[in-house]
Amino acid sequence: MARVLIIEDNERLAGLIADGLGAQGHVCDAVHTLAAAEDALAGTLFDGIVLDLGLPDGDGVDWMRAQHGPRPPILVLTARDALEDRIRGLDAGADDYLPKPFAMSELAARLRALLRRPGGRQDAVLALGNLAFDPASQRVTVAGTTLELTRREAALIELLLRRAGQVVRRAVIENSLYTFDEAVTPNAVEATISRLRRKLEEAGAALELHTIRGVGYMARARGA
Amino acid sequence: MSRPPSIVRRLTASLAWVGGLGALLLLIVIGIEYRISFSNLGDHDAFARAIHELSEHVLLPMAVLILPMALAGRWAIKSGVRPLIDAAAQIDARAGETRGVRVDTTDFPIEARAFADAINRVLGRIDGAAALHEAFAADIAHELRTPLTLLSLELDRLEHPDAGRMRGDVARMRRLIDQLMLLAQIDADHAAQIAPTPVDLGDVAGDVIAQLAPIALDRGMRLALEADAPVMVIGRREAIGAALRNLIENALRASPAGGCVTVRTGAGGMLAVRDEGPGLSAQQLATLTQRHRRADHASRDGAGLGLAIVERIMRAHGGTLETSVTARELRLQFPPAASSD
Repeated sequence: MARVLIIEDNERLAGLIADGLGAQGHVCDAVHTLAAAEDALAGTLFDGIVLDLGLPDGDGVDWMRAQHGPRPPILVLTARDALEDRIRGLDAGADDYLPKPFAMSELAARLRALLRRPGGRQDAVLALGNLAFDPASQRVTVAGTTLELTRREAALIELLLRRAGQVVRRAVIENSLYTFDEAVTPNAVEATISRLRRKLEEAGAALELHTIRGVGYMARARGA
Repeated sequence: MSRPPSIVRRLTASLAWVGGLGALLLLIVIGIEYRISFSNLGDHDAFARAIHELSEHVLLPMAVLILPMALAGRWAIKSGVRPLIDAAAQIDARAGETRGVRVDTTDFPIEARAFADAINRVLGRIDGAAALHEAFAADIAHELRTPLTLLSLELDRLEHPDAGRMRGDVARMRRLIDQLMLLAQIDADHAAQIAPTPVDLGDVAGDVIAQLAPIALDRGMRLALEADAPVMVIGRREAIGAALRNLIENALRASPAGGCVTVRTGAGGMLAVRDEGPGLSAQQLATLTQRHRRADHASRDGAGLGLAIVERIMRAHGGTLETSVTARELRLQFPPAASSD
């Protein structure tokens, strides 16, 4: 699957993360300094980076800021978790942020979401439970059978699948569906979700669309 | 009961003594100059002359000098002490602040400067000690994170039936560390006087609920937000988010399985969290928010510490944490923003 570079100075921790992500099917390279990270990035094309902020030969935030041109998405790990550090990290170009300590499942989920962002090299089929979505053809299959969806329904499920397990805010949905209709009312979004839900249920999809009233929607594998 | 010494009273007493002594001295001087002796005061003419001399040279000058002196003295003292009274009022007005309080000595009379400067030096030392203490707490929390991550990842690989319980323990330790760091952060922000910005409470609530909704669903609970119009307050977004997160986590614990925790915004800078638990009386709330002061961390999951943190954050915003048993709500009440748009 994806090739991930782990930049973490604690060698045992780097090893554990590599093992954990390896079990998820990722190919991981672990380095312990920024200098080694530069070497690794010069020689190999990575799909994602897991970066610890406090490294022996420099600060991760400064390093991110110095990166120019296209680069893989970065998930920052930090032991600091001071609110200001979080903002500083995201400003410097981190794509997501995970404070230590974290569970492997958490790291894997966040990384999966990053790799699923559009435009990444990982722009392949999005899968959740027994459902698969091909962004290129906008085709949804449940357990191998194609599901008939309108363009708007397909766009909505793509949005939710790209952030599976995370809540997608209502405003984000309204903005990205705007192109299909002149005005997207909250009711229209809710109606589309209901139709999607019914279709998924009829097709026997092991996937749930949760409504977080007043906030947004979330797709999760059933029983997850 | 002895009254505390008063400069004005002391001045009045001193002037009375000076007046009395001066009058006595003048009487003697006049007596010598005019050779008035007590023996010929019986003479009517001599007596009248003596009275005349006395009133002209003693009583009149005394009255002319002592009265304005007494008044001028009182005025000088009152106005000299005025900056001290103003400074006291200013310090009292900042009762909510525990850090960075200093006596403003710009208008202080030179006589009071040394004392005020000494007090400021002590306050500076106390601030320094508190900052050191907080930095130490933050350092400990920071140092604990990497070993705790290792522990958590190693536990993830264990298939032992006890691993789940240990994962729960690690999660509780993590929560405690997060709260310690948050407390240190609130004080650091306060000390650094980071400028507050306009914040929409509904937007913050949406972010926090989006973060917590997966956890709530895992426990079979739902979260909902009721926010129609934007409600603006002046504050620190991250801190308000942390306060709300603590309240929601609290509500998730208090509600029965399958329950719903609802967050709503209200006009005038109000953010409320309603759960399906029994509600919290004002007395219970007061006890819970006092917890950290008594160093009582007896609660298994740091719930009490959570409410104490919420109270601290609200205090730093000039707001309050209130409870309504009937509505089963905990409310964050902010001072309303000057302008609502």
